Amino acid sequence: MKISLSWIKEFVDLSRISTEEIVSQLTMSGLEVEDVVDQTNLYKNFIVGFVKETEKHPNADKLTICKVFDGKDDLQVICGASNVKAGQKIVFAPIGTEIPNGNFVIKKAKIRGVESNGMICAEDELLLSDDHSGIMVLDEKFEAGKPITEALNLNDVILEIAITPNRPDALSHIGVARDLAALFDRDLIIPELKLNETNDDINKLASVVIEDIVNCPRYIAKVVKDVQIIESPKWLKDRLEKIGLRPRNNIVDITNLVLHECGQPLHAFDLDKLNGHKIVVKSTKSEIVFTTLDSKERKLPLNTLMICDGKREVAIAGVMGGENSEITETTKNILIESAYFHPSSIRKTSKTLGLSTDASYRFERGTDPNITKYAAERCAQLVAELAEGKIANGIIDVYPNVINPKEIELRFSRTTKILGYEVAPDKIKNILSRLGLAIKVLDEDKLLVSVPTFRPDIEREIDLIEEIARINGYDNIPTVSKINITLEKKTDETEFDEKIRQTATALGFFEMINNPLQTENDAKLTGNPIRIANPLSADMECLRTSLISGALITISKNIRQGVKDLKFFEIGDSFKRICDGEIKSFSDFTETQNLLLVISGKEVVKGWNIEEKESDFYLLKGLIDSFLSKISLDNVLIDSYYSTANEIYAYHLTKSFKEVELGRGGKLKNEVLKQFDINQDVYCFEFNLTVLKSVQSSTKTYTDPLKYPKIIRDFAFILDKSVKYLDVKEFIKKKSSPLLKVVSVFDVFESDSLGTDRKSLAFTLEYYDESRTLTEDEVEKDFNNLIALVTKEFNAQLRGK
Amino acid sequence: MLDKNITEIKESFYTDIKSVSSIKDVEELRIKYFSRNGLVSQLFEDLKDVVKEEKPILGKKLNLLRNEVSAYFEEVKERISSSNSNKENEIDLTLPGKNYIVGSKHILTQTLDEIKSIFKGLGFSVANGPELESDYYNFESLNFPADHPARDMQDTFFVSKEFLLRTHTTPVQIRLMEKQAPPVRAIMPGRVYRNEAVSARSYCMFHQVDGIYVDTDVTFAELKGTLVSFAKQFYGSDLKYRFRPSFFPFTEPSAEMDITCYLCHGKGCKICKNSGWLEILGCGMVDPNVFKFVNYDSEKYTGYAFGMGIERIALLKYGITDIRIFFDNDLRFLKQF
Ligand SMILES: [Zn+2]
Repeated sequence: MKISLSWIKEFVDLSRISTEEIVSQLTMSGLEVEDVVDQTNLYKNFIVGFVKETEKHPNADKLTICKVFDGKDDLQVICGASNVKAGQKIVFAPIGTEIPNGNFVIKKAKIRGVESNGMICAEDELLLSDDHSGIMVLDEKFEAGKPITEALNLNDVILEIAITPNRPDALSHIGVARDLAALFDRDLIIPELKLNETNDDINKLASVVIEDIVNCPRYIAKVVKDVQIIESPKWLKDRLEKIGLRPRNNIVDITNLVLHECGQPLHAFDLDKLNGHKIVVKSTKSEIVFTTLDSKERKLPLNTLMICDGKREVAIAGVMGGENSEITETTKNILIESAYFHPSSIRKTSKTLGLSTDASYRFERGTDPNITKYAAERCAQLVAELAEGKIANGIIDVYPNVINPKEIELRFSRTTKILGYEVAPDKIKNILSRLGLAIKVLDEDKLLVSVPTFRPDIEREIDLIEEIARINGYDNIPTVSKINITLEKKTDETEFDEKIRQTATALGFFEMINNPLQTENDAKLTGNPIRIANPLSADMECLRTSLISGALITISKNIRQGVKDLKFFEIGDSFKRICDGEIKSFSDFTETQNLLLVISGKEVVKGWNIEEKESDFYLLKGLIDSFLSKISLDNVLIDSYYSTANEIYAYHLTKSFKEVELGRGGKLKNEVLKQFDINQDVYCFEFNLTVLKSVQSSTKTYTDPLKYPKIIRDFAFILDKSVKYLDVKEFIKKKSSPLLKVVSVFDVFESDSLGTDRKSLAFTLEYYDESRTLTEDEVEKDFNNLIALVTKEFNAQLRGK
Repeated sequence: MLDKNITEIKESFYTDIKSVSSIKDVEELRIKYFSRNGLVSQLFEDLKDVVKEEKPILGKKLNLLRNEVSAYFEEVKERISSSNSNKENEIDLTLPGKNYIVGSKHILTQTLDEIKSIFKGLGFSVANGPELESDYYNFESLNFPADHPARDMQDTFFVSKEFLLRTHTTPVQIRLMEKQAPPVRAIMPGRVYRNEAVSARSYCMFHQVDGIYVDTDVTFAELKGTLVSFAKQFYGSDLKYRFRPSFFPFTEPSAEMDITCYLCHGKGCKICKNSGWLEILGCGMVDPNVFKFVNYDSEKYTGYAFGMGIERIALLKYGITDIRIFFDNDLRFLKQF
């Protein structure tokens, strides 16, 4: 919101206070000043110029060479605007002037070969409006060479203030002035009104009925007759333009002025267009189409609060007036509406229509029901002054249930307990009074505070404490240098994730963070996705059902950047819908924390002393097992292998703990990769961390390193290719003596010499006992026995030996 | 005469041996001094011609010399022959070593780790909560009434009327307080979503850390002390800061904490929009209405809460200008951290 300091000074004396101090105090009390435009400084170099002559630029059709008189000299200036003409008074920026809208400085320049000594300005370049249709043409009466700060009264300071939603009272100049009065301990001045009313009784000219008293607790009408609809005087136009409003006609400008002065939105109807000179406030009983004064047809839903006349709707209450009753050049008599509407009703209408106006913005935040009369009268007074109107006698004020100030008890002791320091009671009383709150001392510790209706945000003691804290300044609240730390157990629910991250990075994986919002296609790949009701775009319309599609997007992007050897991991939540209809409870969907490990490209890049190696399934499998061993889960999980393809994997394995699957992974199918434009193999494994967390054991036990020597034996068998390593291994373990502790494969070999359907598997056997040294004989006996058994069981043939 | 020769030969040996650097030099030295006709052998020959009275003394001296120089000779010979055996392999030490790839955590995770460890040091636990939340936890219980303009502060992605993607990690505060009685002291890191157009400055999802402390005597002064301690540990102890009033429905009074712009040191620049200050977090005293939702007695207990965005902190700290780079997962970016 834009605030003009010169305007605000009508309501509070700010003499001997610098702009810097005002800005700093406002910001430090909760009205954050986001921008300060000091016009005197901003426009200090601009002067009125006189265009003496113009001629076409020889080298450019759209440029004009102008001779500009700056009060002393004639200067040659190139201008690009089509509306520049000899005889105009214009805003001239001499060499060295900084242009406000681009932060650039005008230099002597050659434009298409012709020298230019300055610039003729458009309104947008001066930040006066968005208009860039042509240069700004000034009144002929201005003298060339005169600073525009004087000529155009550009000597104000405009503050851009961010008003938080709890402070509707600060959405006006008087509202901000009230805070300044409290901050600088000065008086708030609200000008008194003097109305010259005629003998015409308003009740004979108009009537008001409120049918929906809940949504419209108060409606005031004031009538002014015989108005002249003309352009507003310069001071009024200046005032509105400074805060970014475009002047229209005197009546509309006056309602805007009053709005920005005291925060009350007003609407002026052409009284003669109101059927029966009647106002009825009621909600729509059916859907209707209504044309607002911006000439747009709008569909209004059931239960929209409307202002109607004797026959039809004439305005959307609190949002925008209707075209059928708006002020035009021929309007003679007007009815000024000053009402209080229920905030949530206006918010609902504004939201459904997608239409936010200065009025609706204030009503939905909460206006003051008790400023309505002042605002209506202030408006009538200005209409009388500026439109030569005659104010009808009296006021129509429908206000069946008066809204009174709230009374709240405030304890000084509670203030100290919340803030951690004592604010002196006198100081507290002064702050509250300056903010316009009435106080009564109840006892040594207690005040009874009466909160006027312009502060709907102050409802409880804590709200008063905030007022005290912010006006007294947060800087005055001490900063403790000691805190108490209790000795009870601290928990860290992210600890396990941390362990996982450490392990994954140690294994060479890089952590990625992908957007969980993705296309429906990508999300459907791995489950039934949840749709976003109001997505930003089609490529973010669903929540991911696993981390795989996000990883594939990342891999695809990296490959396109020429980075092809990839090892990523991600920890993140995945979402699956488990109901058909609308999601109404937490049991209608699942949210699980997943971990994805994914590899693609080369595991080892060729080096001067190292052979290159492609990533493959066994790399993935090995990484997963190393990973699980680091979190002590290597020996408790059951692997299952699936060599035929499913929806996404060409082949895969799963890891389970007591029938519960913890994760699965393998080689992704080419058809899937093709969807992501990936033409190299990708292997991935995805864990459900939520489950993994629940089964991992945090206790580790120590075992002594082996004290006695191991006896190692090797053998290799030639067997059918269909025989699986794991089956042979399990068989050996089952049939061997308990002294055989480890069976591992050290070679797999296939060759024509073995036969096309045969292969060689070579095993290492480790025998040992924790309590004694083994003899060669007992090992030899078991070893020979195993050779015989394996040979027989698998139709195998012992190699070599 | 011999006496003088002994001294001379000793000196000349020590001079010669200094320049020995190869097996060949060693052999030349051996021949010069220790061969049958070598200089040392020659001295023993000369001893025969010495007068009888001097023989024992000079003989002893000569033996000492032989022992000394031959021992030193052997030592040098050993050193040279062993170093020479390496030289025979001609190792090129300048070739690169084997390239091991150690992965890394995402820069946002690293930033969060740092924040987490500071707050853990200040006695905070760490808690988690779901991203797909109910309206109740995300808004209602945090004192955002339905149809209230405060809801406009956070543009929301809805999946249904009642369920949405959480817009802040603050709902975890409620979940935590529902589970346990005061004291509660915890931070809640996590991912949040806002329905805002994606640009260099804002993304539709980002990460936050929320924190809460509720006990019998928690004050605004303690809130200030704790957050200042955090900021000094994170940003440096010479940091300047300010707390300024703001508005959040779930805290009252509410504040935003600013620190001096690290780029312009408070003079004003583009990053800090000429104010000289950078906003780093929002905070305040827990609103009594929030306590009502979790059945805490707000007369007995007071508390503070705060929240900050991780991306913003990382952008500022590492001078990154486009937030989208965090989620591009370009390995060349990830490898830098
Ligand atoms: Zn700065």
